[in-house]
Amino acid sequence: MSIQYEDPTLAGSYDVVGSFPKSFGYGVEDQDLEENCSTSADKPRILLMGLRRSGKSSIQKVVFHKMSPNETLFLESTNKIYKDDISSSSFVNFQIWDFPGQVDFLDPTFDSEMIFKGTGALIFVIDAQDDYVEALERLHLTVSRAYKVNPDINFEVFIHKVDGLSDDHKIETQRDIHQRANDELADANLEKLHLSIYDHSIFEAFSKVVQKLLPQLPTLENLLNIFISHSGIEKAFLFDVVSKIYIATDSSPVDMQSYELCCDMIDVVIDVSCIYGLMQDGSGCAYDKESSAIIRLNNTTVLYLKEVTKFLALVCILREESFERKGLIEYNFHCFRKAIHEVFEVGNLPQDARSSSNNLTGLKYAGAHNGSAV
Amino acid sequence: MEKMSRVTTALGSSAISGQTMFCHLDAPANAISVCRDASQVVVAGRNIFKIYALEEDQFVEKLNLRVGRKPSLNFSCADVMWHQMEENLLATAATNGAVVTWNLGKPSRNKQDQLFTEHKRTVNKVCFHPTEVYMLLSGSQDGFMKCFDLRKKESVSTFSGQSESVRDVQFSMKDYFTFAASFENGNVQLWDIRRPDRYERMFTAHTGPVFCCDWHPDDRGWLATGGRDKMVKVWDMTTNRAKEIFCVQTIASVARVKWRPEKKFHLATCSMMVDHNIYVWDVRRPFIPFATFEEHKDVTTGIVWRHQHDPHFLLSGSKDSTLYQHMFKDATRPVDKANPEGLCFGLFGDLAFAAKESLISSDSNRKPYPGGDRRYPIFFFKKPDQTEQFAHVSSALSVFETDLDSNCMDWFVKTAQLYLLCGKPFAELCDHNAKVARELKRPQVSTTWTMLRIMFSDPANLTPGSNHPLSKLGTLPLMNSKGESRQDNSHLEPGNSLISNNNEDNEETEGSEGQAEYMFGDAELDDDDLYSMEHDNQTEEQEYTLPQEAFQLRHEIMDNPSAPEHLQQDKADSPHVSGNEAEVTCLTPIESFSLISISQPLFTPHLPASFFCPIVREMLSYYAEKGDVQMAVSVLIVLGERIRKEIDDLTQEHWYTSYIDLLQRFELWNVSNEVIKLSTCSAITCLNQTSTTLHINCSNCKRPMSNRGWICDRCHQCASVCAVCHHVVKGLFVWCQGCNHGGHLEHIRNWLKSSAHCPAGCGHLCFRLLFLDQLLELNSANIRTEPSLLTEQRLSPHRFTAKASGVQQQSGGESLTHHEATN
Repeated sequence: MSIQYEDPTLAGSYDVVGSFPKSFGYGVEDQDLEENCSTSADKPRILLMGLRRSGKSSIQKVVFHKMSPNETLFLESTNKIYKDDISSSSFVNFQIWDFPGQVDFLDPTFDSEMIFKGTGALIFVIDAQDDYVEALERLHLTVSRAYKVNPDINFEVFIHKVDGLSDDHKIETQRDIHQRANDELADANLEKLHLSIYDHSIFEAFSKVVQKLLPQLPTLENLLNIFISHSGIEKAFLFDVVSKIYIATDSSPVDMQSYELCCDMIDVVIDVSCIYGLMQDGSGCAYDKESSAIIRLNNTTVLYLKEVTKFLALVCILREESFERKGLIEYNFHCFRKAIHEVFEVGNLPQDARSSSNNLTGLKYAGAHNGSAV
Repeated sequence: MEKMSRVTTALGSSAISGQTMFCHLDAPANAISVCRDASQVVVAGRNIFKIYALEEDQFVEKLNLRVGRKPSLNFSCADVMWHQMEENLLATAATNGAVVTWNLGKPSRNKQDQLFTEHKRTVNKVCFHPTEVYMLLSGSQDGFMKCFDLRKKESVSTFSGQSESVRDVQFSMKDYFTFAASFENGNVQLWDIRRPDRYERMFTAHTGPVFCCDWHPDDRGWLATGGRDKMVKVWDMTTNRAKEIFCVQTIASVARVKWRPEKKFHLATCSMMVDHNIYVWDVRRPFIPFATFEEHKDVTTGIVWRHQHDPHFLLSGSKDSTLYQHMFKDATRPVDKANPEGLCFGLFGDLAFAAKESLISSDSNRKPYPGGDRRYPIFFFKKPDQTEQFAHVSSALSVFETDLDSNCMDWFVKTAQLYLLCGKPFAELCDHNAKVARELKRPQVSTTWTMLRIMFSDPANLTPGSNHPLSKLGTLPLMNSKGESRQDNSHLEPGNSLISNNNEDNEETEGSEGQAEYMFGDAELDDDDLYSMEHDNQTEEQEYTLPQEAFQLRHEIMDNPSAPEHLQQDKADSPHVSGNEAEVTCLTPIESFSLISISQPLFTPHLPASFFCPIVREMLSYYAEKGDVQMAVSVLIVLGERIRKEIDDLTQEHWYTSYIDLLQRFELWNVSNEVIKLSTCSAITCLNQTSTTLHINCSNCKRPMSNRGWICDRCHQCASVCAVCHHVVKGLFVWCQGCNHGGHLEHIRNWLKSSAHCPAGCGHLCFRLLFLDQLLELNSANIRTEPSLLTEQRLSPHRFTAKASGVQQQSGGESLTHHEATN
């Protein structure tokens, strides 16, 4: 790879890549076989834990299995550890382990070593409508236990079912849980809180969780920043098509409405594609290289979706007047796409080769046609 | 003293003058900042980084800092800050994670001074220390805040926000060492610059990201925060626990917040999406902006007060590539356009009306709105500028109380309970209803009923009496003595006294002695009446009652929960009475004459009934329009086929649903159910067919019973065992709510006659406080029925208390009708 550093001062800051497990990487189409062979046990896991009936399975079903939030009311309680490997269909190369609420750590059959070892993130779900004191005790136990085995775990707490609370109560509950959890874990000093307010916010929280496990995130964010600033785009998301969680976005703040709009767009595109895009015999894929869509809204906003990789889509929100320069956007996107592919190829390279490669290839392209853009 | 000195500077700087003006930028701005003497402004964006001089009537571009052939990403600014001490010093935050400082004093074209690339992701905010020249703070998306000493090449300390993205950092104006940081997870942290290991304080300020924060320039403890939840909150940080003292609700997520100089309670906000305006709020009046600047055509990204002691100039940059200077006197005052009148209905029909005082006669002693009463700072000697006043809108509030009697809906409830809708000859129904209306002092309604009777009573229909078929259940003697069952029923039906009177009337009017001499007690008689409702007088000479619906029989049985109880007792407590077993056809109808109808041959029917239909239709619509949908529906039901075809189905359905809704709001479940049953609209009758689910918990382990049957699948015990006979109770289950033991109603009743303690031997004194009857009354509400049978509850649903068992109860409401029968 002949990559020139556009800005040498930036090169060093991405070296952290090497310190992450290599199986985080993402295989593009020409993925080498060795990566494929990695056993499922090697894959970093996201564990979902919490008291029973707190909504773990619901979250998992809603995010990764397109279940509508209403349907989750009828989910049976989970009796055994449910391993869900979603890497085959989704960019997110993780396993979600959905634990039954009543798992007992003291049980000798509970192999905490095995369970926590390869875990990337542990999500603890607290039911805000329930009495959460018990949940917090449980959280404390879980976190301290897991931390002993694997101090690298990201601990996330989802406060679930807050939509049933009034606004005042909501923030009060959030604050209280936060306070108590932090007090209890002051020694562990590892606490993070995400608040999931409703189903779309579950997506947002999950997005955050996944992003934290993604070593390429700063690079992706940077690429998106460059891409949108040179193409006159207001907001761009890099979506995992299957789960509709965004694995990266540009650095401007995420607005829930824009995010939901983009989610809806993906739904529309996939649905239409499923109906009309498949071959006569039903073969083919609803989402492939040719996938792209433009939706013009009546408020002079344009939604623009393009395929990036097999699992990823770029969804942009832009103004109609910016969209007049469609050719430029197309070209910039081409560069962007190429850069993304290179970024993920880096993940597949052997360890030593990785440190020498710079992820910022997109910069060159984007920078190069900057002149034509402005 | 300190304040005074600053005021003089403010006055001294009144040299600042200008007007509302703007200039076009080449590219959208992300942030702006002014230099200390308010003469220049720097605009930074992804593709712009320029300094403009503020002249009297225009902006003049002074300097373009984006120099060099290949624009570096370091020029792509997310934030910019001009040092307030050192006027040559600027800092920018780049989207690629770089923090750059610029020295305007440099002789070369490229003014770039220092470059820190320690952040991995976009830096959202840079902030100079207000008094320390070389101290710079940055907050980044990667969750770290870094403090730089500009004399060194790298950061001196790093503060970890625990991987949550930092949206804003602000040094405190007063506390030398303190800064506040706001985070994407809704938290705000306070840090001591000397202690990078752990924050001093943290509190959750918003749901969703906190995008901005700003320390009050004068008040040490006040921090304003704005977030995606569309709120601006002002926190008092001096107390031990951060206290929210003001909260302003805006219409879009808050991107920036800036306190207005010299105005203690004012702050300016702009939003991130949707809304392009800049608002200045008086936090004490959070419902309407004090002033609005509406010049921008796209989202405002940066706002800054031009001079830190001058509240009249506001600068703003926007995504529409313009830079504005707003004059405060040119601002729009939304309060001028606001409608100061308000109108609201109270819960009990009271009407509150607030209006400008001038509009209301000023006879009463009204006080002006306290919020509008502004106290001017002492140091203003001249009269304060009129533009600085929040419009004084003092409204007068008048509350109109409605007359309690006219407001009272007692008539509705009484009428609903007392009206007879079926079960008697048409004329009798009309007479009865007319009487009810008359007694409730509704002469018009009463007359209407009488008229209806006259109009539609066909002499042919007058002669034969009504049929009174009785259900077998009704004829069977109850185990319960009359008195007790009456108590049961009286509990179920409040207002029974009225009804019972009424029923006595009925008996009299019917004048059928033989009927009255029936074997059963009063209560059963009433049941009888109700059963007989099922058919109208047209089914004369008919031997058996024909059920109106296919399901009829099944429901008819199940609805009388006391019946299985006594049926079973012969069988030595193997109380399996299925619905089928108890299924009954109505027996021997009793011929009875309706004496009244005969005795009143008041007219000769020379007009066919259909002649009146248009008038009646009009009358019904009139009642419905007037809000008395009860009348409309009642007449509709009573007239039945006579009028039904005259009114289109949708209207009928509409009336029915309205009436049923009303009834249910008044918790008149029985009546509403009767109406549902008697209605002929398919949409209404099917209301009854929708299934109702009741959940039961096992009485032993308190867990929900998942499958049907008597045995709890968790604790493997029978869920409801009679404490006296130790058999499973199938049917009416009564228990003590103190110790949860119970059993067959009769058994418990007998037991409690002899002992006050719990029959299960748990030692609980079940009978200490309650008299027997009260106990039974209380608990008869809690009925357990056999899960597998789809049996019915005897109660109105709202009475059904938590522990009660539950079954899939289909067409649940239907049965309820029959229990209206009270003595």
